[in-house]
Amino acid sequence: MAGPANPEAMAPPKPGPTRTAPPQQPSTWWSAPRIRNYLLFDATGIVYLLAGLVALRLVWALGKGPEAWQAALASLSNPLYLGFHVLALVSVVFVAVRFFSLFPKAQPKAIGPLKPPPAQVILIGLYAAWIGVTAILCAIIGGVF
Amino acid sequence: MTDTKHMKVAITRFDPDQDEAPRLQEYEIPVTPGWKVLDAINYIKDECDSSVSHRWSCRMAVCGSCGMMVNGEPKLTCKTSLDQYGDRIVIEPLANFPIVRDLVVELDGFMHKFRSVKPWIIRAKEQAEDAAELNEKGTFSQSPEQLATFKQFSMCINCLLCYAACPVVANEPEFIGPAAIALGHRYDLDSRDEGEATRLEIFRGEGTVFSCSFANECSEVCPKNVDPAAAVNQAKFAAVIDWAKNLVLPRGGN
Repeated sequence: MAGPANPEAMAPPKPGPTRTAPPQQPSTWWSAPRIRNYLLFDATGIVYLLAGLVALRLVWALGKGPEAWQAALASLSNPLYLGFHVLALVSVVFVAVRFFSLFPKAQPKAIGPLKPPPAQVILIGLYAAWIGVTAILCAIIGGVF
Repeated sequence: MTDTKHMKVAITRFDPDQDEAPRLQEYEIPVTPGWKVLDAINYIKDECDSSVSHRWSCRMAVCGSCGMMVNGEPKLTCKTSLDQYGDRIVIEPLANFPIVRDLVVELDGFMHKFRSVKPWIIRAKEQAEDAAELNEKGTFSQSPEQLATFKQFSMCINCLLCYAACPVVANEPEFIGPAAIALGHRYDLDSRDEGEATRLEIFRGEGTVFSCSFANECSEVCPKNVDPAAAVNQAKFAAVIDWAKNLVLPRGGN
């Protein structure tokens, strides 16, 4: 049996002559794989919030001096932190793949005389840019530059 | 001889004169292979309980009347085969709509939102002035390429499955929703239309394209492959580009 939805959802501008029952939504929404994926996508926001707090903690430690900074860096080798960063990586990959798959169809049909390239070209471009930026960041962090 | 099986079909019942809230009523019916969900509802109405109320018309996925929730998924019941389900299914009215009676939902809210995007061809000139642009048959010419630009979005049959699937419709009652935006965008892309600026102004308002979180649910459930999510997000691009153009060239460059 369905459960209650927002009572104002799709309400007419003026109530009609007949009493209506409030809108419903399926009570099994969580069991549908498609909705589950969307909810997972939404839930990654919590991971990014926590990752932001970790970054803020590092900035705060940096302001406290070299010893605090080194201690903060050392604490990142804690298995809990490592696990969290693996989760953050998975979240980023999941969101990027989902976004990339939807991005081509969101392109305008044309901007003036310019038409968007085929979806496959856009996809290749997105993945190439992602891999390229990741490689450059890895090189910077690895001390290549 | 056909291989008839028995199936339990639970249907939402709501009589506004008697019931406080909707409830499920279960019927056990013989089902012939190849039946659609709509066939089961029609059988129940014809043979078991004539008080069951539901909307349907064409039986061939054109009129868009028979959209309902089947086991929690928005489906066009005339297009959904019973064979894919087990021994029991649950049929409910479209989610996110007030319920008038049984499987019938209130559509006035949608019609109000639909009208708000001006889903018709807008011409800037008077009809007499337009005559110069008409072809020898007295109609506007349109190339196959111009037609292809918007044809996909014009296939919408207003079945409203997209509204039942959209998580934004469920949470933001002011959101005008996928089908209305898709049809507004359809006219924006039509070479005969000159109302794009008017609609883009509407699309930049509250509860329109920027409320969409691109869940893509509308496109997943669309029985006509209209892809409303594409329309909504193309309209976002168009609204931003138009806004930026107006910012740089406030009088259209004149």
